[in-house]
Amino acid sequence: MKNLVVPGEIVSEKPYRADGVFMEEGKTLSAVMGVVEDGRLIPLKGPYFPKRGDYVIGIIKEEGFYGWMADLHSPFEGKISARETREKFRIGDVVSAKIFEVDEVGEALLGEARRLWEGEVLEVEPAKIPRIIGKSGSMVSLIKQYAKTDAFVGQNGRIYLKGGDTSMAVMAILKICSEAHVSGLTDRISAFLEKGGKD
Amino acid sequence: MAKVLKEEDLIKNGKRCDGRGFEDLRPIIVKAGVLKQASGSAYVEWGRNKVYAAVYGPHEVFPKHMTNNYKALINARYIMAPFSGLDDHSRSGPNRRSIEISKVAKHVFENVVLTNLFPKTMIDVHMEVMQSDGGTRVASITAASVALADAGIPMRDLVCGVSVGKVAGELLLDLDKYEDNLGGSDMPMIFAPRNGDLLLYQMDGMLSKDEVERAYDMALGACKKIRVLQENALKEKYKEVFEKIKGGENGNNQGSY
Repeated sequence: MKNLVVPGEIVSEKPYRADGVFMEEGKTLSAVMGVVEDGRLIPLKGPYFPKRGDYVIGIIKEEGFYGWMADLHSPFEGKISARETREKFRIGDVVSAKIFEVDEVGEALLGEARRLWEGEVLEVEPAKIPRIIGKSGSMVSLIKQYAKTDAFVGQNGRIYLKGGDTSMAVMAILKICSEAHVSGLTDRISAFLEKGGKD
Repeated sequence: MAKVLKEEDLIKNGKRCDGRGFEDLRPIIVKAGVLKQASGSAYVEWGRNKVYAAVYGPHEVFPKHMTNNYKALINARYIMAPFSGLDDHSRSGPNRRSIEISKVAKHVFENVVLTNLFPKTMIDVHMEVMQSDGGTRVASITAASVALADAGIPMRDLVCGVSVGKVAGELLLDLDKYEDNLGGSDMPMIFAPRNGDLLLYQMDGMLSKDEVERAYDMALGACKKIRVLQENALKEKYKEVFEKIKGGENGNNQGSY
C-alpha cells in the first residue's frame, strides 16, 4: 500500500537516514512531497544532490586555470579538473561525466568527462530519474527499442537523446514524469510506445 | 453624510459584520503549482485576500559575499501590488511595513526549511499580495509554505497562521480589514501545526495574559484546519493523474498509488 505524503508526515516509526526524510523523537518524517511504500519515502520533487558514482550530464559554464565548472541542473556545481581529461571544453558544451567525489559543501569533482556531440538534451524533475531508468534499466531500454534512439540518462535530471524518433522518446519520458506515482507504469508506457506515441 | 464606522458597529447580535461567528475563518482556497516558471508556487484566496507565492532555487548566492558555508540563505520578499487596495499604506513598493514582514517571514522559513542540506546556496521566496483585506502576512506565509513544498525543498513541516484580535471586548479569529483597523488589538501567529511550534508572534494593542492564552488556543486550532487545506492543495495534482488512470479502471478512488 502506497501513500501520498507532504512535509511533516510520518514515514516510519523507526529512525533512519535517507533522502527527503528527517528524524525527530525516534521517528522518521517526510521533508518533501513523496509516496510512502513499506516505510520508505520516494520523493516526487526536489533538487538533485550530487552523489559519488552517479553519471550526470553537465553544461560547461566557466573555464579556469584548474579546468572547467559544469552546471549540473542542481544547487551544486561540478568541477572538471584539466588533469582528469584529455579533451578541451568550451563554454556551453554538453558533457557526460561520472562523479568521483563530493566535498563537504556539496560540490562534485567530475571524471571521465566526455563531450556529447549533436543530439538533444531534455531536462526533467531529478526525482523522476529512477522511474525513467526503471528496474535495471528496463524502462529506458524500452524507449530506446521503440524510438530507435540512443539515450543516456544523467542522474541529475538531464537526458541525452540522439537519432531515431526523439519526439516519441520525449513524449514517453514526459508521460513517465507525470504518471510516475501511479502503479502499473511500465505497462502503460509500453502500450503508449506500441501505439507509436499516442494514448 | 455617510456614517463613520466605529468599533462597536462591528459586532451585532453575536455576529461579526460579515456574518461570521467569533471563531470562524474566512473561506480559504489554496492552489499549488500555479506558476510555470518558478520552482514552486502557490495561490491563496483568503476571504478577499489574494496572494501569489513563488519559490526559486536553491541557487547560487547573490551577492556572493553573503555566502554561508554551512547553510542556505533564505531571501523572503513580501510586497503589495500597487492595486491591492493600499488605502492608508500610502504608495506601493518596498516600505517600512513590507520590509518588516519580509524579515519576519524569513525567520519563519529559516526555522522550518532544512537549510543545512544546501550549503552555499540561496532560496528566494516571493510573496505578492494582489488584493488585501487584513491578515495578508499570515495569508502570504501560508501560501509561501505551500510554494516551498511544491518546489520540493525539504522542510520540517508546512507552516500556516492566522491572526486573533480583540474587537469591542470580544476575541475574534481571523480579523478582516475593518476589524483590524478599528479593533483594539491584533495578534498574528504562525505555527508549525504538527508539533505546535510558534514561529511568528506579533501583537498590536493590548491583551490580558488570559486573553493571550485563549487567543493562542484559538489560533492553533484554526491552523490545524488550514494545514489540511494546504495538504489537499499539494496532493491535488497527483490525485488528478491517479484518478484519470485508475478511476476508469475500477470505478473507485480508494486504490493504492
